Amino acid sequence: MKKLSFILLMALLCVFLLSSCGGMREGVYFLNFKPESAAAYNEIAAAYKNETGRSLRVVTAASGTYEQTLKSEIGKTDAPVIFQINGPVGYAAWKDYCLDLKGTKLYEHLSDKSMAIRDGEGVYGIPYVVEGYGIIYNKRILDAYFALPNRATNFQSVDEVNSFIKLKALVEDMTAHKAELGIDGVFAVTSLQSGEDWRWQTHLANLPIYYEFLDKEVDLGNKNDYKEIAFSYADRYKAIFDLYLNNSTTDPKLLGSKQVADSMAEFALGKCAMVQNGNWAYAQIADVAGNTVKPEEVGFMPIYIGVSEEESQGLCIGTENYFAINKNASPEQQAEGIAFLEWLFTSETGKRYVTEKLDFIAPFDTFDENEGPTDPLGKEVSEWLNREENYSVPWVFTVFPGQGFKNDFGAALLQYAQGNKTWEEVKAVFINRWKEEQASALQ
Amino acid sequence: MTHVRGKITTVATIAFLSLLCLLFVLPIFIVLFNSFKGQFFIANAPFALPNTDTFVGLLNYKNGIAKIGFFSAFGYSLLITVLSVFGILLTASMTAWYVTRVRGRGVKALYYALVFSMIVPFQMVMFTMSRVANLLHLENPLGIVVLYIGFGAGMSVFMFSGFVRGIPVALEEAAEIDGCNPIKTFFYVVFPLLKPTAIMIAILNAMWIWNDYLLPYLVIGSQYRTIPVAVQYLQGGYGSRDMGALMAMLILAIIPIIIFYAFSQKSIISGVVAGAVKG
Amino acid sequence: MHKALKKYFPVFVFPTLIPFVISFLIPVVMGIYLSFTKFTTVSNATFVGLENYKQLFSSGDNFLHALWFTVRFTVVSTLTVNLFAFALALLLTKGLPGTNFFRTVFFMPNLIGGIVLGYIWQLIINGLLSGLGVDITYSASYGFGGMILLTNWQLIGYMMIIYIAALQNIPREMKEVAAIDGANAWQSLRHITLPLVMPAVTICFFLTLTNSFKMFDQNYALTGGAPGRQTSMLALDIFQTFYGSVGSEGVGQAKAVVFFILVAIMAGVQLYFTRRREVDA
Repeated sequence: MKKLSFILLMALLCVFLLSSCGGMREGVYFLNFKPESAAAYNEIAAAYKNETGRSLRVVTAASGTYEQTLKSEIGKTDAPVIFQINGPVGYAAWKDYCLDLKGTKLYEHLSDKSMAIRDGEGVYGIPYVVEGYGIIYNKRILDAYFALPNRATNFQSVDEVNSFIKLKALVEDMTAHKAELGIDGVFAVTSLQSGEDWRWQTHLANLPIYYEFLDKEVDLGNKNDYKEIAFSYADRYKAIFDLYLNNSTTDPKLLGSKQVADSMAEFALGKCAMVQNGNWAYAQIADVAGNTVKPEEVGFMPIYIGVSEEESQGLCIGTENYFAINKNASPEQQAEGIAFLEWLFTSETGKRYVTEKLDFIAPFDTFDENEGPTDPLGKEVSEWLNREENYSVPWVFTVFPGQGFKNDFGAALLQYAQGNKTWEEVKAVFINRWKEEQASALQ
Repeated sequence: MTHVRGKITTVATIAFLSLLCLLFVLPIFIVLFNSFKGQFFIANAPFALPNTDTFVGLLNYKNGIAKIGFFSAFGYSLLITVLSVFGILLTASMTAWYVTRVRGRGVKALYYALVFSMIVPFQMVMFTMSRVANLLHLENPLGIVVLYIGFGAGMSVFMFSGFVRGIPVALEEAAEIDGCNPIKTFFYVVFPLLKPTAIMIAILNAMWIWNDYLLPYLVIGSQYRTIPVAVQYLQGGYGSRDMGALMAMLILAIIPIIIFYAFSQKSIISGVVAGAVKG
Repeated sequence: MHKALKKYFPVFVFPTLIPFVISFLIPVVMGIYLSFTKFTTVSNATFVGLENYKQLFSSGDNFLHALWFTVRFTVVSTLTVNLFAFALALLLTKGLPGTNFFRTVFFMPNLIGGIVLGYIWQLIINGLLSGLGVDITYSASYGFGGMILLTNWQLIGYMMIIYIAALQNIPREMKEVAAIDGANAWQSLRHITLPLVMPAVTICFFLTLTNSFKMFDQNYALTGGAPGRQTSMLALDIFQTFYGSVGSEGVGQAKAVVFFILVAIMAGVQLYFTRRREVDA
């Protein structure tokens, strides 16, 4: 008994002792936003340590929980040094924590200085990746369709499809021939599980809001311009969303448990011809076991929603990823954090990881033309970006309200898909939640 | 005649209960055979047994273990649970003895504060508690033990006190006359008598801490994942939820519990009942 | 002895008191204070009076919906769990062969944690509903049914064990006497068994009641509140308010205080019933 109680006491003592010093962990704390890059960042941290002897501690938040994680982490004594904000609205929420990065080499190397997040004279967020999204298609299946003798359209190639009306005609006729094409549906499943709905509540919503901003001549730098929104292109959103739902592989009533991974797997396995997503998704397509889509068969086309003169519209290209350095960290920590970012985007080793492992299109002048992305979707984005005859749709969703708005809009979309909400109700959710969240985010 | 009828009823009842038993374990078996199917064959047809097309062997287990770091999660869960349970047993039994044997207003107030803490829902303190834990650097698998000792104190002190009251004071006085100081008296005389209660309290606390999600998620979840936190994390991966890995991890999360149950089901069941009746 | 012991306060009480103060007392006091403020981190709290409380009772907030959902869920699960558990306990106290085995199996789900339980049932319920061409997010009533099913699976075995213990304490002679007096099975159950196991019934009712009322993990994993936040129970609603969007932490804390008051009232009622029973006995 004596022995036992002695052991117990010692154990307790150890707890109290170790807990006070166990809190110190090594390296600069980097709170990563991109779970799909988590593995790559761990490799990078190892390479960084190997080359410079300095260490980096990468923590990755689970999908849809970045704001929540950042909120609980940033108030801590051992807070993240490097974190990310997603644009002007993110900056408004976290401005008390953002260090001015104007004098850094990273900012100097930024190819287009106007892309950074600025407030007055200071620079508080530096974009680190340019991404594009649109409708990814499987060339093999489309060619099979174009070769059908009894089809109702007369497109010869996907390049002729340059408006919503043409897209709709193509998609609906493909649906009519889906048995011959060997697909379950034209579009991959519209994943609407909570946390898996960002392709719709954020990315797709970017288009109608972009055109509304264009009509109203909104200045993204002036937050009073988008405190409220009319959602004037709501019917266009509905049109494309309905097209996705009605020509999908899956019954709309089953969408509440579907995930992005399901969509990408369907595309990879050739069960559908198209899926809306961005160039970051290529790794996911390639990783699916039993993948039938070859790299050269993957293509990108713009998302047409049916606005006038959309024939020259391109992909949605922009960034929602800005690095920020925690203002409240110690100067040494801040310097370490900046040093890591500079190493990642300027050193040979760092750059190799950026293009090969992270598959980033990095917006820095340290990357020359042949140091672009190596995957087919990344290459397509670069190519679309350089097409003179097309205009890219910028990512205006960086001024969308926070996660609460997005989640509620996503949930309303699901209920609409299931037939439990009318489109008018969805529209009301969008407008009202926008107003409420923007009021608390931008105050 | 009645004898025959009785027999028929008995057989029917046993058949009914067996069926019910089957129904009770069925969910776990469904998860088990789904864990051997490819990840895209699960959500679509959860009730289909694996066949040559869908069987993937231990692939899901391999993926799941790698994705969430199952073994380190298991290690953290085990470490936190064992240390917390021992910590609670020791501190709560000592305090329980003190508060039952010593009279005074302060002691009484402490006792009632402890009992009161049993009814306060966790959501009431989740935010502020994680702040305090941060300020005191308790955000590691050892620091969280301190939090569990604090949260477990209410029920454990309450239950220990009930048993201490049943111990004759004469025993302790005899020890004192023999020259024992209170510490010796406690460990030589009182604590051995509390052993049956201690086992019960250990089981109740172990079940709670092993399965607890919110506290470890909020306090140490970003750096150290216990099993429930790891399972939930698998669910939240950015566009990468792997149903197969999820099934496999559910099974791996259940196995330790079933083993533990198989070895100590008698004390578990009696501990739970006694705990319920006392609480 | 007690005088000597009194001096040992630091040895015997501090190891409990210090963690208790850290993990409970300070957070409770801070929590009550913060419910009257607007804050994102504790350091930037500004006093706003009853603003947060007004907000949570306003029509736009999910709180009242969550409360109503929780109450309905608690009532249904308490009734079903206890009914099934009691029926099983009756069957398992008849001295049938294999009783021990059955008891062991029925109790087992109780040991599995809420998060794991939630995902097990999500798979099964979505599988069942796919026959109807929908899933659990289709309607709040599916989520409700799923929660009831899950809770029954988890708690029946537990309550059954308590009922068995109570039933086994009934003296055999009482039933035999009743049988001789010509009481049928129903009368004997109604007039002899039930009154004698009443204490166990009270315990089980309150256990199910508080368990269901405070449920979080199962709710979080099974439905996550879907569709929308329609199946969020109180604990989950508070969590979502806290961590769902920047700026509503004060409201979340106010909700937690109201939740706490409700739980405390339930505990008070339970205490009243238990006390009254002790006086009666």
